Amino acid sequence: MGGVNYVSRRRAALQPEEPDEESWEELVLPPCPLAGSAAGSWGGREAPGAMLGKGAGGSSGAKPAKPSFVSYVIPEEIQKEPIEKEVNLHLLPGELLLCEANTVLKCVQEDGSNRGAYGKLICTNFKIAFLGDESASDDNEPEFKNMIIGENDITLHCIDHIYGVYDEKKKSLSGQLKKYPEKLIIYCKDLRVFHFCLRYTKEEEVKRIVSGIVHHSQTPKLLKRLFLFSYATAAPTNSDIQNQTMMFDAIKDWREELERTKGNMKYKVLSANEAYQVSEKLPMYFVVPMSLSEESILQYQGRGIPIWCWSCHNGASLLKMSVFPKEQEDNTSQMHKIFLDGVYKTINKPPYEVLKTDDLSSSLPSLQDIQAAYTRFKQLFLIDNSTDFWDTDVKWFSLLESTNWLEIVRRCLKKAIEVVEYLEGQNTNVLLVEENASDLCCVISSLVQVMMDSHYRTKFGFQSLIQKEWVMGGHCFLDRCNHLRQNDKEEAPVFLLFLDCVWQLVQQYPPAFEFTETYLTVLSDSLYIPIFSTFFFNSQHQKDTNMSGEGHNAQSSRFRFLTVWDWSVQFEPKALVLLNNPLYVEKPKLEKSQRKTTRFKHQRQLSLPLTQTKSSPKRGFFREETDHFIKNILGKRISKLINSSDELHNNFTEFYDSWHCKPVDFHGLLLPHIEGPGIKVWAQRYLRWIPEAQLLGGGTVATATKILDMIEEVQSLQKKMDEKHSLTVPQGREALPMLRNSARLSSLFPFALLQRHSLKPVLPTSTWKDLEDEDDLAKRDDEFVDLSEVI
Amino acid sequence: MLSGSKTSFKIQQHAPGPALRGPKSSDMNSKRNRNGQAFPCIPGEHVLEEAARVRKIVRSRDGEGSILGTLYCTNLRVAFVPEPAPGDTAPRRSTCLHCEHDVALPCIGRLVAVNSCKAKVLTASSTLKFNPEELVLYCRDFRVLRFRFRDSGSEPRAFQVTLAIVQAQESSSGSAGMWYDSGAIRNLENAWLSTEESSSPPTLLFERPCDWEKELRRLGAAGWRVSPVNERFDMATSLPKYLWVPSRLLDNELKRAFGHFNARRIPRLCWHHPGGSDLLRAAGFHADSDPEKEDVRSVEALMLAGHAQCVIVETAADLPSPAEIQLSYLKLRALCLPDSSVADEKWLSALEGTRWLEHVRACVRKACEVAALLAERSRSIILQESDDRDLNCLLASLVQVLSDPHARTQSGFQSLLQKEWVVAGHPFLQRLNLLRDNDREESPVFLLFLDCVWQLLQQFPASFEFTETYLVALHDSSYIPFFSTFLFNCQWERDRRNQHRASNQIYAPVNGWREPPPLEILQKGGRLVKERGGPYLPTIWDWALRYTPQQRAQFRNPAYARGSGGSTTVPNGKSAPLGGDKLEAAPSGNGAMYLFAKGALSPQTHLFPWKNGSLSKKGWRRAQSSESLSEQDRSLRRKPSGCPLQPEELLLPTSVGPLIRLWRRCYLRGSQEVQRGLFASTLGELAEELARLRERLGD
Repeated sequence: MGGVNYVSRRRAALQPEEPDEESWEELVLPPCPLAGSAAGSWGGREAPGAMLGKGAGGSSGAKPAKPSFVSYVIPEEIQKEPIEKEVNLHLLPGELLLCEANTVLKCVQEDGSNRGAYGKLICTNFKIAFLGDESASDDNEPEFKNMIIGENDITLHCIDHIYGVYDEKKKSLSGQLKKYPEKLIIYCKDLRVFHFCLRYTKEEEVKRIVSGIVHHSQTPKLLKRLFLFSYATAAPTNSDIQNQTMMFDAIKDWREELERTKGNMKYKVLSANEAYQVSEKLPMYFVVPMSLSEESILQYQGRGIPIWCWSCHNGASLLKMSVFPKEQEDNTSQMHKIFLDGVYKTINKPPYEVLKTDDLSSSLPSLQDIQAAYTRFKQLFLIDNSTDFWDTDVKWFSLLESTNWLEIVRRCLKKAIEVVEYLEGQNTNVLLVEENASDLCCVISSLVQVMMDSHYRTKFGFQSLIQKEWVMGGHCFLDRCNHLRQNDKEEAPVFLLFLDCVWQLVQQYPPAFEFTETYLTVLSDSLYIPIFSTFFFNSQHQKDTNMSGEGHNAQSSRFRFLTVWDWSVQFEPKALVLLNNPLYVEKPKLEKSQRKTTRFKHQRQLSLPLTQTKSSPKRGFFREETDHFIKNILGKRISKLINSSDELHNNFTEFYDSWHCKPVDFHGLLLPHIEGPGIKVWAQRYLRWIPEAQLLGGGTVATATKILDMIEEVQSLQKKMDEKHSLTVPQGREALPMLRNSARLSSLFPFALLQRHSLKPVLPTSTWKDLEDEDDLAKRDDEFVDLSEVI
Repeated sequence: MLSGSKTSFKIQQHAPGPALRGPKSSDMNSKRNRNGQAFPCIPGEHVLEEAARVRKIVRSRDGEGSILGTLYCTNLRVAFVPEPAPGDTAPRRSTCLHCEHDVALPCIGRLVAVNSCKAKVLTASSTLKFNPEELVLYCRDFRVLRFRFRDSGSEPRAFQVTLAIVQAQESSSGSAGMWYDSGAIRNLENAWLSTEESSSPPTLLFERPCDWEKELRRLGAAGWRVSPVNERFDMATSLPKYLWVPSRLLDNELKRAFGHFNARRIPRLCWHHPGGSDLLRAAGFHADSDPEKEDVRSVEALMLAGHAQCVIVETAADLPSPAEIQLSYLKLRALCLPDSSVADEKWLSALEGTRWLEHVRACVRKACEVAALLAERSRSIILQESDDRDLNCLLASLVQVLSDPHARTQSGFQSLLQKEWVVAGHPFLQRLNLLRDNDREESPVFLLFLDCVWQLLQQFPASFEFTETYLVALHDSSYIPFFSTFLFNCQWERDRRNQHRASNQIYAPVNGWREPPPLEILQKGGRLVKERGGPYLPTIWDWALRYTPQQRAQFRNPAYARGSGGSTTVPNGKSAPLGGDKLEAAPSGNGAMYLFAKGALSPQTHLFPWKNGSLSKKGWRRAQSSESLSEQDRSLRRKPSGCPLQPEELLLPTSVGPLIRLWRRCYLRGSQEVQRGLFASTLGELAEELARLRERLGD
């Protein structure tokens, strides 16, 4: 455990009014909805639940027409035999309980059946949590357990939308509420969906919890009110954890990076911004071309200055620049132009004759487009209930295409390949230009570095890259994630887009990455956990100015924030195993890779037709059509080449194709496939909470289990051999604790628990009434109720 | 396994050991090229034309390159023999019938000749007016072969060899029967098969009664027997010789049923669930027949099979028709060819537009539903399709793959294909249209099935003994006309062609190569000839004829985790009594009949289309008290205990959109985007390392 203590401050804020609130009741419900009798018995009578929920739900007092869930436990029974059980409420340091509600029913909707569990819903200044017996009853502790965020916990920042259900109608909840819903549906940013039924909850508790949740999650916040600060104040100051991740908050990190990439010949680290006198957007230290003087940097306040990102092995460099404000007078901009020309000249020493400038804001989708696409995209996975899922299922591919998200992923990857082509193929420096150089610049420059530099495909390298390009690069995490709920218009999932692009690479070349897709998934989840400072500031300047505690004795009470890279805060060592790729190809043997590349001498001698063929519409499969067949023979890629007069495109295609014709060196340049079939849905992140997509005992985890088993065996055998040879004292063998019981795992591993031991929904419940005849139904009216009506 | 599949097969890089030495076939059949290297013809094959120093363009994981070699056109195929590397003395070709550079003539979909400014599709009627620089063969199994004549000194022969291929292809199509009339593969197996030395259990071909008996014993289906009623195909020509029928039903009674089903294909057992359920398949009821009371009794006894409940699954209800399958297959092939002009951003909707994955999904879903119905409670389930020869094959075998771990081993899977497709009378000849004689009946129902199995393999990578490579090999095999398996419409036709074939139906896999026995021994009537005389075609299960040991090693899944219990320890205690008592005591109309279609069960009152053959609704209603009905309901819903099998033994795939995927390694072989499967080779390497380590430690 990395030093976080769970100080159990139960009810720090609210004292219980009655002793019996110390414990609350949970009832495990019958596992399946046969329950014709149970459901029917109260469905037939006046629903007792309505008495409790009437006022709150605002239903007109009549019996609830078609409730959207089914309960099999009569609330009376709860009163009769409450199961006294202490459920531990874990509060983090600095976490305060704000409000709570008892007898909340958490509905689990799967199999088309409606199950649920009673428990307590609480809201703190950190999270919303449901405390029930549901998961604890399962004897197996989840192996991949997040120590900060439990299965039924939602951090306030993770809440995407809150809906209330009023008489079967779903309404978005915000602001002051006049009516309180009978059911609360919470959509999370990590794509979980929670249904909380408040029908059996006391009216005043409903009011308190609903308005509490809505208030604390939806209203704009001040930065200082972030839980990050309360946590940092209350948490014991732990000694700095030694982490191999370069944070780039010290000048030596930059120097090392320059040295590693051999960029130190032409670039230098500047410390002119140590006190943020140059710009608040820039980090304390940054790297610029040698020739740049500090005065000129001060003169332009950090704008319009090419800033170094990375240097290629051939000396070509990747640079970024925020645009020079246009509203400046001509005079200044003229001066700036002269200044830049001077700078370019020094960068462009032979043999680097050109500096290619790429304005990302014109060549890539806008932030609004990205946000809109993601909003459409995530709707495909935020599933209210099973029927919704099956509805979207039929048109899955065209729906997916119409969201445009995968197309944006493709365009980013393509842009990155273009940049790689300039750097690698043409030895050209590339300057990425964007308004603030902190959104798509981050995406493209980090992607380029992941593709070109195998260092960034290790775990620590990747983390250093995120520190360098995103955290220090001034990506506005606070605004883009809308953590403070201050401005919806600034929201855009830029970082998520980057992770999705990296995932495409990871799934195309798994052996090239030291980390797994699970790592990327938990990294994306960590965006919403406000105990780490990494993703909760807009810039280093903002972080630094907020480091000191409020007013008094500022110097001594500087906050100590945790960084997300300390994974031991979230996960136990045995869970951390899942973040590492067991099949990572660690060190290439030099001879081997050389042999590989020489085996197939690449020859590019395609018989390109010299005559321009007129483009014809797509013809039938076996139709005879000369020019169409030229396309056939030469392949799609070449045909693009023929038809395009654009030399740029030409170069790109040539580079892309010739790379894909060569053997893959997992430690060299890596280019993703970006053709139609190449871009896929990040299934682990997007499908993990959907029970319909679960495979019992299946999925890649089945293979992964086997791999881990085999690696373990290889290791133990190797150890045995060593022992044999060296006669050393054998050490206690350490078995991999994970994945021991693979039969119980499902494809949703490690995220969702295996809860269903049942058969798949073979038959929709409603069809079972067909088995009954009318007379039978009439005969047994009192004990059987038509299931289709209550669903 | 051609260009694309080089991702897994790298035989060209390995020098085959002496064990893999292929036989030099007799000199009279082989021509020698100027390098003095013989082209190993198979008997009956002769080289029509050849061109040396041709470059074959190879694309693989290791990059694009070209191989220098000789291109042959024979009366059976187009073959390419790479030149041996200097110093490499071992023969290149180690399998005689198929290698990744060959394509059988019927498998060629389209031939295109290219020179610097022209490209022309070649047909027999078209005339080639230029000397081609490159020849591109689009195969019907999604491969694209490219041969380059330019810059390699082979230009002079280019014209001739191209024309020869065109003509050979033309003459091969439409001439049904040329393959076996020419006796092409006569005695081939004799010459190639080694002695029975099997590491894995043999594939049951279901041509002899003992196979049926053996399988019935394995299933532990107590109330069933093997009936030889159709031994001479006089009951139904399209049915197998032997049928599994309820023990208590005499052949006399059985014969009463035949007339009342289309093509006389009566209900018969496919598979027996250890929990007691039975899976049957049958053709639709013959609407025009006028059954007597006794006939109806026989039909009912067949269908209920001693169970109290019988569910009729309308196979065609949710599944695509063969015509629809063919249509979407053509669209899919057009989409997957490298020349497809679909823009990248429109790829997904184009893929959806082919509807192929929709069909796959429908099949997987339906099979999953039927498998769950089987596991829920003891009942008989009858898959009914109007002719029982297309989607019934698919559904019956898919259900078994889901339910029976044995069907997920290689030999079990092959036996399954024999039982439910080959001898059950799937019209392979029509559906695959191998001889190109009738395009209208073409429909790749079998390939759709392979795709479904691939989906399962994707979803449950540890549950199958075989790999994706094996499925691709099987996919390729369906377009090779040298084997009896896929060359006939039913067992009756197959038997007529192979009439002299002796009783060697149990196939044993071959380990390695053996020098063929000298010709004299064969003629003098050595043991092999005695057993395997006469012209006959080998089955495709003789993988050794086409794939090298290294290639076949890729068929085995290193991630396969054998089921804990294994198929032999399946509990039998629970199986419902299938005794005659029950059958006897169950008068007409005492069973409960349900119809299962579109995911819903509905009780049937008028089961048969005939006037006097309706099941009395009141009869079965009365027979079952409401108590027992609700009991029955409960048992259906009761969760884990309702299923007698271990969860890992019953696969429950999901058929939701995001998880039904495109079989890229099969369909995208022609284009560049060939990808290695996740973990595919690396896991294999790991397994190898493990074996090596074990070996070194083994003392």
